[in-house]
Amino acid sequence: MRFLVLLVAFSLSWSGIAQARYYDDVIASGEIYIGAYKNFPPYSFERDGEPAGVDIEIGRRIAKAFNLTMKVHWITPDENLEDDLRNNVWKGHYLDKDEANPLAMKHLADVMMRVPYDREYAFKRDGEGLLINDQVVLFGPYQRERWQVAFDAEKIDRVGTVAVFQYHPVGVEIDSLPDFYLTSAFGGRMRKNTVHFFSHTEAFDAMLAGKVDAVMGMRAEVDWQLGLHNKPRYKLAENGFPSMGKQQWDIGMAVSQRYRQLGNEVDVVVEQLIRSGEIEKIYADYQLRYELPGLYQDVVE
Amino acid sequence: MKKFSGSFAVTALMAAMSVSGLSQASVTDADIMQDQKTVDDVVSYGLGPRGQRYSPLDMINTDTVKDMRPVWSFSFGGEKQRGQESQPMVKDGVMYVTASYSRVFAVDTKTGDELWEYNARLPDGIMPCCDVINRGVALYDDLVIFGTLDAKLVALNAKTGKVKWKKTIADYKEGYSITAAPMIVNGKVITGVSGGEFGIVGKAEAYDAKTGKILWSRPTVEGHMGYIWKDGKKIENGISGGKAGQTWPGDLWKSGGAATWLGGTYDPDTNSLFIGTGNPAPWNSHMRPGDNLFSSSRLAIDPDTGKIKWHFQTTPHDGWDYDGVNELIAFDYKEGGKTIKAAATADRNGFMYVLNRTNGDFIRGFPFVDEITWAKGLDQNGRPVYDDTKRPGNPSAGEDGKKGSVVRAVPAFLGGKNWMPMAYSQQTELFYVPSNEWAMDIWNEPTAYKKGAAYLGAGFTIKPINDDYIGVLRAMDPKTGKEVWRYKNYSPLWGGVLTTAGNLVFMGTPEGYLKGFDAKTGELKYQFNTGSGIVGSPITWEQDGEQFISVVSGWGGAVPLWGGEVAKRIKHLNQGGSVWTFKLPKS
Repeated sequence: MRFLVLLVAFSLSWSGIAQARYYDDVIASGEIYIGAYKNFPPYSFERDGEPAGVDIEIGRRIAKAFNLTMKVHWITPDENLEDDLRNNVWKGHYLDKDEANPLAMKHLADVMMRVPYDREYAFKRDGEGLLINDQVVLFGPYQRERWQVAFDAEKIDRVGTVAVFQYHPVGVEIDSLPDFYLTSAFGGRMRKNTVHFFSHTEAFDAMLAGKVDAVMGMRAEVDWQLGLHNKPRYKLAENGFPSMGKQQWDIGMAVSQRYRQLGNEVDVVVEQLIRSGEIEKIYADYQLRYELPGLYQDVVE
Repeated sequence: MKKFSGSFAVTALMAAMSVSGLSQASVTDADIMQDQKTVDDVVSYGLGPRGQRYSPLDMINTDTVKDMRPVWSFSFGGEKQRGQESQPMVKDGVMYVTASYSRVFAVDTKTGDELWEYNARLPDGIMPCCDVINRGVALYDDLVIFGTLDAKLVALNAKTGKVKWKKTIADYKEGYSITAAPMIVNGKVITGVSGGEFGIVGKAEAYDAKTGKILWSRPTVEGHMGYIWKDGKKIENGISGGKAGQTWPGDLWKSGGAATWLGGTYDPDTNSLFIGTGNPAPWNSHMRPGDNLFSSSRLAIDPDTGKIKWHFQTTPHDGWDYDGVNELIAFDYKEGGKTIKAAATADRNGFMYVLNRTNGDFIRGFPFVDEITWAKGLDQNGRPVYDDTKRPGNPSAGEDGKKGSVVRAVPAFLGGKNWMPMAYSQQTELFYVPSNEWAMDIWNEPTAYKKGAAYLGAGFTIKPINDDYIGVLRAMDPKTGKEVWRYKNYSPLWGGVLTTAGNLVFMGTPEGYLKGFDAKTGELKYQFNTGSGIVGSPITWEQDGEQFISVVSGWGGAVPLWGGEVAKRIKHLNQGGSVWTFKLPKS
């Protein structure tokens, strides 16, 4: 079933009319559709019925820079990034059909947030040597993300290394890299203590309820939960993640390759937001640590 | 224009009248149990509860089939195509057939006129795990029952297409869906679930067919509690497998997969449901050492209580996505004067198994594809003898963040045989197995992302093994394991098989042909191009003294969704969505 699930990823053969738009069309419409994952705090979520989160805040500032109204295109995540780019940036989802108006455009984001900015990924090739992600432009890195463990200090003194999870239960989101890491690294020695949840939020709630002694997730997710439940007993761990493939990665945006100009214009805005410290301030407002993406770190050095 | 629409209305009215004029008896349990013998209707998925797909009709036979021709074609219309894997049902002059995107149509079998159409309203933001196909309805009483992409069972009035009851089987937000045809056994509608990798657990469930009230629920992963409802009360009905943690590490049994996405068959002799289960989750086998019961297995379940009578696991500790969902077909054969109560299944993993259907004991197993790399063979209990070098790699071994080592596995994950049902002829005592010859290269792929996070995916490519064919329709002798004949097809086979007492075997191809073969020799006796690829299952019935054959045409399903060398063979095939019905000319 695994592969049946992924199969939609390769459905390149169906054409559809898609409604991501040229720069001029976006400006003329007075609105810009910002794609953001649904129910994914602290990046993008709804709070009191209003869109919130760092990705939404950045989207607002992009819209403002062009004097546009931001509309949120909420994204239900599919199995992987290729699927999300296809469903939301360049082609549209196959279930997005309007019975009454079969010629209606599909709903797409003009700009999709939280798309990893990774040269190797952008130029990845399939078994035939063809580019996999040639329908999109990945640009505008705005944050570096990492993995992070938080723990309950009343259960564990400190987490210096992941070896403590041979003895203490740790919560992870199912089918995530922390899940793979904790169930398979070091011959599976931490496997029996790896407890699976549908989301990082649920894992953290389980720690609050005393069901697990620690959680592992993305740094911003962990920071956000620690900020929400501001108690000294829940602490950040200092451990590393030996033998883990990807420990840090940069987050940027995507536009359809047909709308490169839109990407270029947004890129300029995002760079200004980073250099002016505006993005760091957004992260601080959500009580998140902020790390510059590699592109800017290199420049600073 | 006015005149045109007026005459159209009259035609539609006449069609409606002609149907209401028919004596529409409701479908009974006896009708369903006798479906294989009664040739005037098709009221079960598989032409009988055993799923043999064998009809005693012989008007269309090896001599007459050359004259067979289409009598009508009915289009599903609209923009909604993407693969038509349905098997139509026929009762009292009405055909009930499903189409992609959770649609049902009732069609006059004489004229091809539409009587009604039901279009399930799917929720916004739904992300069904397993594409948008549907494999057919169940008929019971005056109801037409089918499963939807948002994991509901819907019962429609057979005359009007109006909803009689609707039941949520599982939460689509958690990744559940339904694509298989439900099954009716003694007034109960039995269904499984499809599901993605988001931590689902497979289950089989029984509902009262008339009311939609739940009767029992049986999880297909070891450690989960089953339930039975008595007088409206939910009562614990035993943990599947006895207890948790025997064949799974940690808490992985809680999200163990084993989706029952293809439904099952029923054997009246032993009063057993035979339901297959999908691969275990997570996909990487190194995270879950153990047999991971009851993934990649066939389960015999008591339809009255929902208890598991026995299980047979085809791929313990699966690491190749070899779902064990393929149909298990009950059949009897004679050996040394004794009747053997057997059942056979052709697995994704390339082996065909003959089991004792009274207890699940392994009788024999043999490859039905030309090459199998992942196992060296089967032991005396039918358990695979693994070749450890052919198991896809451990994700934690890719420490340097480089692409992991490439493993060549045969069959590819799409299977020696996938979902498409085979047929068993009581006349030739052979199984007709729609199979495919393909290999895959698989490796750990560190340059992957999911929901804004670094991820570790599996990279893979599917490759044909032969230049001139992928699909092979095989006649297999279940008593010897020998192949009696084969028919090679350039593109992969993805549709079901039908066999008849007319010494014929029918099957559709992605190239669009409905093909008829001599059941004994494999000689091609008939072909007709339906205009789009066939991935549905043909049926046959008798009406007014004539034999009809119907098949759904509409290319799609899993095969066209894959890139690589296989895609080159099929990328020119066009989508569609229609039912074709054939018969012999009146003499």
